Amino acid sequence: MDLPNPPGPTPPDAAKRFTQRSAAEWVTFIAAAVILLGLVGLILFDWQTNQNQPPAFAVTVSEAVRVTDGRYYVPFAITNTGGRIARMVQVTAELNLEGTDDETGEQQIDFLSGHETKAGSFVFTHNPQGGDLVVRVASYRLP
Amino acid sequence: MATSTPETVSHPEANIWLGEFQAILQGAVGGFLFGIPLLYTVEVWSIGAATDPLWLLVVLGATLVGVGLLTQVEGFRQTLSLHPLEALLESIEAVAIGVVCATLALVLLRRITLATPLSEVLGKVVFEAVPFALGVALARSTLQGKQGRDRRTTAPLSPRLVSPTLSNLRDALVDFDAALIGAVLIAFSIAPTEEVPLLAAALPPLWLLLIMAASLGLSYAIVFASGFTDRAERRQRGLLFSPITETLVAYLVALLASLAMLVLFQQLNPSDPWSEWLSNILVLGLPASIGGAAGRILI
Repeated sequence: MDLPNPPGPTPPDAAKRFTQRSAAEWVTFIAAAVILLGLVGLILFDWQTNQNQPPAFAVTVSEAVRVTDGRYYVPFAITNTGGRIARMVQVTAELNLEGTDDETGEQQIDFLSGHETKAGSFVFTHNPQGGDLVVRVASYRLP
Repeated sequence: MATSTPETVSHPEANIWLGEFQAILQGAVGGFLFGIPLLYTVEVWSIGAATDPLWLLVVLGATLVGVGLLTQVEGFRQTLSLHPLEALLESIEAVAIGVVCATLALVLLRRITLATPLSEVLGKVVFEAVPFALGVALARSTLQGKQGRDRRTTAPLSPRLVSPTLSNLRDALVDFDAALIGAVLIAFSIAPTEEVPLLAAALPPLWLLLIMAASLGLSYAIVFASGFTDRAERRQRGLLFSPITETLVAYLVALLASLAMLVLFQQLNPSDPWSEWLSNILVLGLPASIGGAAGRILI
């Protein structure tokens, strides 16, 4: 393998290497096979665990309301607790206040994979702590 | 042209590990050349994320078949005659290199983060790995297509211009011309899409440094993998600058091309904040610098 090579005009690689693979090439192949088998294994594992779980959602609203310029920013996080992806997930927030009109907010999330969490904020002009805040998922589409 | 110094001939085989490393690097570079443009396609991410796992296996299998067919005539190693079984082994290696490169690129562009669910990661990796794996299988012919360089030369305007320094300078200018053409070609096709602002918006501030490093590293790797760092080869090509200087200047050329294309398509306006200008230019600069490096090889 590490024999000194007589320098000559022939291209260096062509003459010797293709008759048998070098140790380095076998190392490459083993690493490549491990990577690909690992990928196939992960795909099969994912298929096993997620195939029969339709999308389901859990919405959490944070208590840490931020006030900037007289507006109330209410952070929320939505998690797809199912296994399959959902598209166009519609999150609505309703703030029911006594005495004044209700405030509503809407948020559409393009893609929400299984077990994925996405976060955002609703913005209200009234203090949500002074009323009844309901945040829920209204609809989604299957891909 | 065919004569080269003895030390450059014995060098690649002096160490099989170095030779193998160069082959893998060449494959990876070929993968990035083909894969980066498709990486800037939002539909590929979303389709990959929404695909059924068994379909992903079908895609992976089809990739292996396609790469296997290519490996019969091409490949990322220099080997010219091959046992059919060795072709199969090499195509498995090519697909694995493609998968690794696609994963790295997706992480670099923040399409895969620690918060990304497994199924989404798998879908994105498998779909993005297709062009990367094909690029790996085409690496040898892509990167070494220009062994004998037959470039058009124009007669000097005055006899004074034939001095060696000036003709070297002219060759260097031709190289930067080639980088500009490659960069503009890629930047032109990506600049009008919405992926650039989308990707730029999702990057944490310091991540831009990583993008710059990757652009420079890939650009240098492309030059390196195609053997342009070989001193004798460079002298023969009449290159004036060191590979690092050339890479840096070519990156600046790519950034200028990105800026020009983004302004041309009115993706950037004077009213936009400077940070948006910076991030968009750097994000588009990544494929542009790869296009520039490809241009330097091919033209």
